Amino acid sequence: MGQNSVAPELLPGTLDLLILRVLALGPLHGYGIAQRLKQVSDEVLQVGESSLYPALQRLRLHGWVKAEWGASENNRRARYYTLTTAGRKQLVSEREEYDRMAEAIQKVLQMA
Amino acid sequence: MRFTWRKFMFWWRRAQLERELQEELELHAELAQDAWRMGNVTLAQEQSRELWSFSTVEHLLQDARYALRSLRKAPGFSVVAILSLALGIAGSTAIFSIVNALLLRPLPFREPERLLRITNLHPKAILAYFQQRCRTLEIASISPGFEWNLTGEGPATRITGSIASVNLFSVLGVRAERGRTFEASEERPGQDGVAILSHRLWKNKFAGGDVIGRTITLAGMPRRVVGILPANFALPSARVDVWIPARMDPSVMADYWGGNFVPLIARLRPGATLAQARGEIKALAAGIWKLFPFPMPRRFNADSTVISLQTDLAGDARSRLLILLCAVGAVLAIACANVASLLLARGITRRKEIAMRAAVGAGRSRIVRQLLTESLVLAMASGAAGVLLSGAALSLFRTVAPADLPGLVDSGFDWRVRVFAAALSLAVGLAFGIVPAWSAGKLDLMEAMKTGSQRSTAPAWLALRGWLIAGEIALTLVLVMGAGLLVKSLYSLITVDPGFSMERIVTLKISPNNSFCRNREACVAFYTRLLIQARAVPGAPGVALVNTLPLDGGLPAIAADVEDHPKTVDFPAPMLWTGAISSNYLDLMHIPPLSGRTFTNADGAGAEPVILVSASTARRFWPGVNPIGKHIKSVNETKWRTIIGVVADVRQFNLANRSPSAISGSIYMPYAQAIDSNARIPVVMNLLIQTTGEGTAASEIRRIAMDANPEVPIGRLVPLKQIAGNSIAGLRSTVWIFLGFAAMALLLAAIGIFGLMSYSVSQRTYEIGVRMATGATNASIVRLILAQGLRIAIIGMAAGIGGSLLLTRFLSGLLFRVEATDPVIFIAVCVFLIIVAVAASSIPAWRASRIDPIRVLRVE
Repeated sequence: MGQNSVAPELLPGTLDLLILRVLALGPLHGYGIAQRLKQVSDEVLQVGESSLYPALQRLRLHGWVKAEWGASENNRRARYYTLTTAGRKQLVSEREEYDRMAEAIQKVLQMA
Repeated sequence: MRFTWRKFMFWWRRAQLERELQEELELHAELAQDAWRMGNVTLAQEQSRELWSFSTVEHLLQDARYALRSLRKAPGFSVVAILSLALGIAGSTAIFSIVNALLLRPLPFREPERLLRITNLHPKAILAYFQQRCRTLEIASISPGFEWNLTGEGPATRITGSIASVNLFSVLGVRAERGRTFEASEERPGQDGVAILSHRLWKNKFAGGDVIGRTITLAGMPRRVVGILPANFALPSARVDVWIPARMDPSVMADYWGGNFVPLIARLRPGATLAQARGEIKALAAGIWKLFPFPMPRRFNADSTVISLQTDLAGDARSRLLILLCAVGAVLAIACANVASLLLARGITRRKEIAMRAAVGAGRSRIVRQLLTESLVLAMASGAAGVLLSGAALSLFRTVAPADLPGLVDSGFDWRVRVFAAALSLAVGLAFGIVPAWSAGKLDLMEAMKTGSQRSTAPAWLALRGWLIAGEIALTLVLVMGAGLLVKSLYSLITVDPGFSMERIVTLKISPNNSFCRNREACVAFYTRLLIQARAVPGAPGVALVNTLPLDGGLPAIAADVEDHPKTVDFPAPMLWTGAISSNYLDLMHIPPLSGRTFTNADGAGAEPVILVSASTARRFWPGVNPIGKHIKSVNETKWRTIIGVVADVRQFNLANRSPSAISGSIYMPYAQAIDSNARIPVVMNLLIQTTGEGTAASEIRRIAMDANPEVPIGRLVPLKQIAGNSIAGLRSTVWIFLGFAAMALLLAAIGIFGLMSYSVSQRTYEIGVRMATGATNASIVRLILAQGLRIAIIGMAAGIGGSLLLTRFLSGLLFRVEATDPVIFIAVCVFLIIVAVAASSIPAWRASRIDPIRVLRVE
């Protein structure tokens, strides 16, 4: 990992949440997911292959995303990941969990 | 569930997934080319693979394969380790399966945990009293086995039968296999002419045919067969073949209140607790002595309580088994310590290999896991070998308990034993594997890689091995001490003078029905004729007659009135063992007369009644007074019998001479004048045949006896020595097995010391070389190594002596004429162990003295 990137694994499970959120907008291939995360986060969140692809495999294993081969921008075969119904439910519950956590952490940090 | 299925599918398609990931990563790299740095591609693949695979299982298999390979590479180590562990596991498993059969496995009855035994023996009247009064228990009675003749079904046979209260089978929750069990009305006189057969008798004697409703003749009485019990029913013992109902007839006082006192079995009623039952029985039992219609000893049976039926059935085999279980556990612990010590040594020689594995990236937990897997593989291999061996061990160990104990009938490897063996192997693997694995995990990489030389000692590890070996020696000392005490005890028991001669005497049991002797004369005539015929057979110089053979466990006793000792409530009629003998019995058995005269043929049925007393009986009742001319009689008769002589004591009941406390003495009567406890002439008698040469005479006499009356069953010819041997069979096999365990422990400890010292010498090669180069003599080197071995041995022995002082007292129940802290045994065992320690250290010491200093120093 580079010095200036933030490891999304800082909070366990955060990467899964981010991927699910990105895919909620529509199917993307692996590189696309990494790009989208980078853009949306103003280049703060930079995900390397070593985290991204195992995470995608993990999400498939849980049945939250499904993968289909399609054509990429440069006309190469690329694997597109789509959120499943179970994945949508997972996104909602993980998001609630994250919000709760974040709120709790905020409370602690803002303690007088 | 669905997750597992998907996981399995991923694993199934893992090759395809691998290719697809490769393609995906390549695309990623291409697209990202000038955008930003690449991530770690290999790591991405590695971690994805973990997701596709059942990695823990695969690692385990990989570790196991590796473990097998490394065990094969060190065959000497593997064989010693597996063999010593296998012996330990085999012994433990075999002993455990007997413990399981006798003490753990539920009895084959309904809700067996609620079955109890009321201690002491009680007459029928007390059974009825308990049944009426006791709210917490349902109570039944079952007598120990009696021998009865079964006649009219081919040749007369002697079978073992038991008298049971009619509710016994409902209390136990046992149904008949065919027919039915007893009905409540069958305890009434006139309706009790029924019998229940064992499965075995039904198969063997009646060929499994239709016998329900048929009438058989048992002890001369006709009885209708009403049922057949299942094959696994073995109460009161596996020998019993027929059960008849106990007749409850309060009008016959002698039988109802006297008669045979029997054990009571009880079942806790629903909702009742053991504590309640105990309290209730205690309260009821306190006053039963006052209920008898004749004077009973004060507080007779007032100490009755309830205990678990299973514990009661196991009897004194229980304590022997528990002792052996502890002993074999100690052997297994020693084997474990030995293997742990060997593994530690191996761990040190394998340090470079382990360091290499750590250097190329194996995590510490991975290395510990690898080494633990090796231990477990070793343990499992030993466990498998152990279970195979335990079958053989089991048949040997079974002799510890009497073969007809109810539980032993089908003792085998049920699931409990299998689980025990598997759990034991696993525990053993962890026990000896954890220390070496843990210490290898703490390996200092740099240190190990740098110093590859022979000299790189690891003092802490060596010290750890020293402690392991010292612990082994401590345990071994306790076991050898126990074995020494037991062997000395057994030796004194075997060599004790029983007071009679067993040489060249065979016995023959002759057992007519009671009805055969309805008048005394018939019986006297029968046996007198038999004696005359037997004595005419050439080659049998002596033939005598006796009611009970010494040491066969029989106990014909009568309640007696003794002159000068009037009965009171606190001193009721003493019970005297009563021998009914032919006049030449004492002669034939070499039991010497001490004063007065012995019986002659003139002491017949019509003559003045006479008796002989044993020396201890004379001392007990008439200390310092000549007993000749004093009188004794049974409480059931009016005429006094005159003492005409005193004979030497005989160990009648057992070799240890621990006779039941109820028996106060022993007397002899001439057969023609003899009576049993019911004031009748003894019916079942034994012929004692003195033989010369090949002993064909005995067989000839047996044939004569069989021809005498076809209705009278004749037993087999049994040497008197064999009867004496049988009386201590359980103890003897316990002692031998214990000795075997001690020998195994000793061998293992010797291997342990030898291994440790050899290793220590190899580690100290350089040091020894230097010593020699600077002028140390061979003898001083030998002394150096021996002293090191002895130091460990002495530390272990000190702990072992402490342990022995604490533990050998648990053997005291098995000891005869030996104190649990017998100083001779203690000293002998210590000296013996020191010799073993020196012997085991001497080869390494000799090797050390042969070290060539020049070569050693040059190598360095």
